[in-house]
Amino acid sequence: MNLEYFLKSKAPGWMDDKGIDADIVLSTRVRLARNLEGSRFPLSFTEQEAQQVNDMITKAAISLNNEELNFSNFTISEMPALQRQVLVEKHLISPLLAKKEKSASVLISNDETVSLMVNEEDHLRIQCLLPGLQISEAYSKAEKLDSQLEKQLPYAFNEQFGYLTSCPTNVGTGLRASVMMHLPALTMSKQIKVVTQMLARLGMVVRGIYGEGSENLGNIYQISNQMTLGKSEEEILQDLQEVTIQIIKNERGAREALLKNSRIVLEDRFNRSLGTLKYARILTTEEAAACLSNVRLGVDMGIIQGVPLHILNECMILLQPGFVQQYAGTTLQANERDIYRAKLLREKLNLKNQKLMEKGEERHDV
Amino acid sequence: MICEHCQERQATVTVTQVVNGQKSEKHYCEICAQNFHPFNLDFHKEEQIPIHQLVSNLFGLPVWNSGTQEKAQPVIQKSAQCPTCGFTFRRFLNEGKFGCAQCYETFGKQLPQVLTKIQAGTSHVGKAPGKPQRPDETIRKEIAAAREKLQKAIVEERFEDAATLRDEIRDMERKLEGGGVDTP
Repeated sequence: MNLEYFLKSKAPGWMDDKGIDADIVLSTRVRLARNLEGSRFPLSFTEQEAQQVNDMITKAAISLNNEELNFSNFTISEMPALQRQVLVEKHLISPLLAKKEKSASVLISNDETVSLMVNEEDHLRIQCLLPGLQISEAYSKAEKLDSQLEKQLPYAFNEQFGYLTSCPTNVGTGLRASVMMHLPALTMSKQIKVVTQMLARLGMVVRGIYGEGSENLGNIYQISNQMTLGKSEEEILQDLQEVTIQIIKNERGAREALLKNSRIVLEDRFNRSLGTLKYARILTTEEAAACLSNVRLGVDMGIIQGVPLHILNECMILLQPGFVQQYAGTTLQANERDIYRAKLLREKLNLKNQKLMEKGEERHDV
Repeated sequence: MICEHCQERQATVTVTQVVNGQKSEKHYCEICAQNFHPFNLDFHKEEQIPIHQLVSNLFGLPVWNSGTQEKAQPVIQKSAQCPTCGFTFRRFLNEGKFGCAQCYETFGKQLPQVLTKIQAGTSHVGKAPGKPQRPDETIRKEIAAAREKLQKAIVEERFEDAATLRDEIRDMERKLEGGGVDTP
């Protein structure tokens, strides 16, 4: 596959709307950090070592290609900045990898659910992204690949410390599992603060999806395990699973309470947001994300009809700066981006609008 | 402004502390500030704390931005330097990252005290290359759990409990070495 295939303006494979609990859990991500014995970590290795590591991992991964899992290989330094940004926004590569120049590369599976990042902070990062809540499925997919790669690659492993990683926050299992959740009701009812504190006590971290410092954007939160050492993979995954189910329960409870107490306020807010997305001419990332969150909640609650979840998923990805610029076909200033963003979202939502109008007219006739 | 602690000298150091999301600011003079030695303190907070500093704070070593108070630092194994990548323990604390896999052996002794602050334990349990399931897994888990308790007991100065735990760990380790059979 060529790079254009992975850059197209479409929600990535992991953002399907058919996952389990997909209205609240958007996606599940699992990543394993691995390093090769005999080469220093990317923090201190030479260009030559970097090249060697890159060759070894790429060769091993490509040799596993089959019908089910087919990798395409891209060198980061050969990509223009905007394309790197689009891959980051699709969560196919990390922001750190996008900045790397030293023999860094990525292998992406054709369905975009698996990506192997080479020479990021560690030599190898195996990442698996699935839609909805699928923690053990995502792990077993990553683990299977890891076991196949380990036959060809000499992993740096130590009896006491487990898989050795550059940062001691990843050592041991090298496993970071995370779920991306849409939690508007917990946010509106200010319960999210309590949830965040509770999670911290349980060794979980809460972050926004659009990178650092975007905690509140679009009411989307990424929850992941903090500890990687002293707990087995099963325990880590189990803990995250339990926490996630608990949060889903809380969110559903908060939604019911909101609907009971202030239905008309919600109806007003959701429809205003839909109107903004459909007719606004200037939209900042913040406003677009907030409106999308409202519309999404409206759809989940049955207040807004006729807007499919997959369109909203797509819009959530498309509103990011990289995608907006790709859509415009050029790099843009922030204020120009806001204009193109509004145009892009308008087009996406109007596609449906036309269909809706047709349906509406039919109903009128009957 | 006058130092909040001694109420005498001019306050030149601002200490920002965040506890459970509650931010509090204290103003001390240079001398009083030096006397405080807790972690999670960041003097001269001007911007966002860089990650390495956070790591350093976590590991109980305050970072001094002014660079003049170096003498107060405990001497940390000056001699230890990783033969493969040249990293020292000090550099590790600054960067928050290791230079190579060898570092884990080079700094193996100091590492557990660092890991207890950021991890669930100090020993790996779980998957290992080539060995999908280890039979002595459960013992290892128990040892890890007991080690954690031991650490806690020491911190809380419950030394009798600590001694009992230490003996238990020793027994379990013996079991492990003896291949699961208790050898007296």
